[in-house]
Amino acid sequence: MSHQLPAILFLLPLFAAISMPVVCLKHRHWSKPISLTILAAMVLVSILNLHNVVNHGEVRYAFSGWTAPLGIEWVADGLASVILVLLSVLGLLGVVFTGPTSPKALGGRIVHYYTLILLFFSALTGIVFARDLFNLFVFLEVAAISSYALIGVAGGRALFAAFRYLILGTIGASIYLLGVSYLYAVTGTLNMADMADKLPFLLGSKALVGGLLFIFIGLGIKMALVPFHAWMPEAYAYAPDSVSPILASLLTKIALLAWVRIIYWVLNASIVVYGIPILLLVAVLGALAAVIGASLALAQRDLKMMFAYGGISHIGIILIGIGQGNQTGFVGGIFYLLNDAVMQAALFFLAGVAFCHYGVRTIDDIGRVGKQAPWLTGSLVVIALGMVGLPPTGGFFGKWNIILGALEADNYVSVAAVVLSTLLTLAYFVKLLEGIFCQTSTRLDVQFGEIPLSFKMTLGVTSAAIMLLGLFSSPIVQLLLNHALPPRF
Amino acid sequence: MVDAIFAVFQRPNFLTFVIIFLWGFYVMVTRYNLVKKLIGMYLVQTSVIFFLVSISAKKGATVPVLLSTTEPVQAASYANPLPHVLTLTAIVVGVATLGVGLALCAAIYRKYGSLDEQEILEKIE
Repeated sequence: MSHQLPAILFLLPLFAAISMPVVCLKHRHWSKPISLTILAAMVLVSILNLHNVVNHGEVRYAFSGWTAPLGIEWVADGLASVILVLLSVLGLLGVVFTGPTSPKALGGRIVHYYTLILLFFSALTGIVFARDLFNLFVFLEVAAISSYALIGVAGGRALFAAFRYLILGTIGASIYLLGVSYLYAVTGTLNMADMADKLPFLLGSKALVGGLLFIFIGLGIKMALVPFHAWMPEAYAYAPDSVSPILASLLTKIALLAWVRIIYWVLNASIVVYGIPILLLVAVLGALAAVIGASLALAQRDLKMMFAYGGISHIGIILIGIGQGNQTGFVGGIFYLLNDAVMQAALFFLAGVAFCHYGVRTIDDIGRVGKQAPWLTGSLVVIALGMVGLPPTGGFFGKWNIILGALEADNYVSVAAVVLSTLLTLAYFVKLLEGIFCQTSTRLDVQFGEIPLSFKMTLGVTSAAIMLLGLFSSPIVQLLLNHALPPRF
Repeated sequence: MVDAIFAVFQRPNFLTFVIIFLWGFYVMVTRYNLVKKLIGMYLVQTSVIFFLVSISAKKGATVPVLLSTTEPVQAASYANPLPHVLTLTAIVVGVATLGVGLALCAAIYRKYGSLDEQEILEKIE
């Protein structure tokens, strides 16, 4: 039974997504309980799966019994299992959050919305497990198609943002596919482990360099790396309030995970292609993204725009950790990825609450809510601590490990980039906190009611998670060190 | 230099791929009409699919069904079926993307009454 867990995890949301339009045709209000049940089941199964992987080692799942080089293979290793627990918990929170925002915000398309959410989660599960480059492409595209539809589901301004994202995302996917076909032409295999065995003999091949370049550009567009990030802030800012937390916390991070898989599992990490060490390239791109993203965030007035640019800079910080090429840096990067997913979800939950309940969209308005919004202000302070990276939160320990890794690798530019981006993050959160606490704007005598229970739950759980990830950072880092490291490391 | 140019013409399929890819990209970047952008996008997708099929082409090979079960298998006499299978999947993915794109175009047209990017941007401002 336990070796079927990866397939169960994938099929749960997929079957639910396929049957949802039929089941909920007459009973539209069933769609929310069904999705909640499915995602809660996913949380349970993913925890079981993590427990199983930690105790009995990784699970290799060969589809239809065709084993590795010939068939499509899924591997549930430590890294995939940890990410899946995070993914399903955030999905559950996202669906809990949807309740009060949905009736007007989604334009009455409730069934469509839940169908797409479940499809999105099944595709993300596929990306996390896939050990086959083409399989990865298919799931990336399923996730991308459902996210185009999710962004545009409510209509309005988001339609145009979704269209731009569709054009850029599809170009990214085509370029990725082109890279995969180059690598296939060179090695004759698509399986990651098999390709990793063959690549060391082919380092002089120009097709290999071209293929890797195309794969990196394609996935770079998917994960909103700095020169290719143009689609991301608009798409997240104009998406419906219940959609943007889910997309912002997971979509780009899972694409980044696919990149990590290719760098560490397909290529050997220390590889040098035509005189360019791949990892140095990753660290430099990460440093650029970290600093540029944070400076762009500083210039925004719209809350969701600002948080989206913050997400771009944090992708960069994760990449800096990944690019150090030692265990400390790698684990720090992955740990920061977990934290960042939770923090991005929390930020967009907060922006959603601010708009749906208090009608606040920009920093200038946020002073209005002031002391009437204890939940909003409280969680904002916790998230600010996490985003800036102060000790009791998980963000601190992530950055700490990344900086330790960079020092270990004698890479002082990376250290400087992390510190600079932290300072810029501090600057834009100070702007936000100043708006709330200093009451510079005119106060309206509007009495806001109590916020709904599900808003309190999502804000409370994510803020608590930011703290808990920090308090329990050493067992989590130890778990990652023991079970989530790439082979030959 | 001459050798390089000569080598390009040795492989007309690669040349065709590059032309279709760049053409699609050019259409996508320069046209303001959203449907034309989608056409460009589809050209880019199709060019990659074409490339994938063309690298598996082989002279004098047949479909990958064993001709005889008694003789040893000659890999050279069968075409590689995998790229064709990948291509089928990639086509399905491309059609799905195009469908979502056209649906978005229709919704944009209903809302703004135009498919011209500049007009839409003016109306959004």
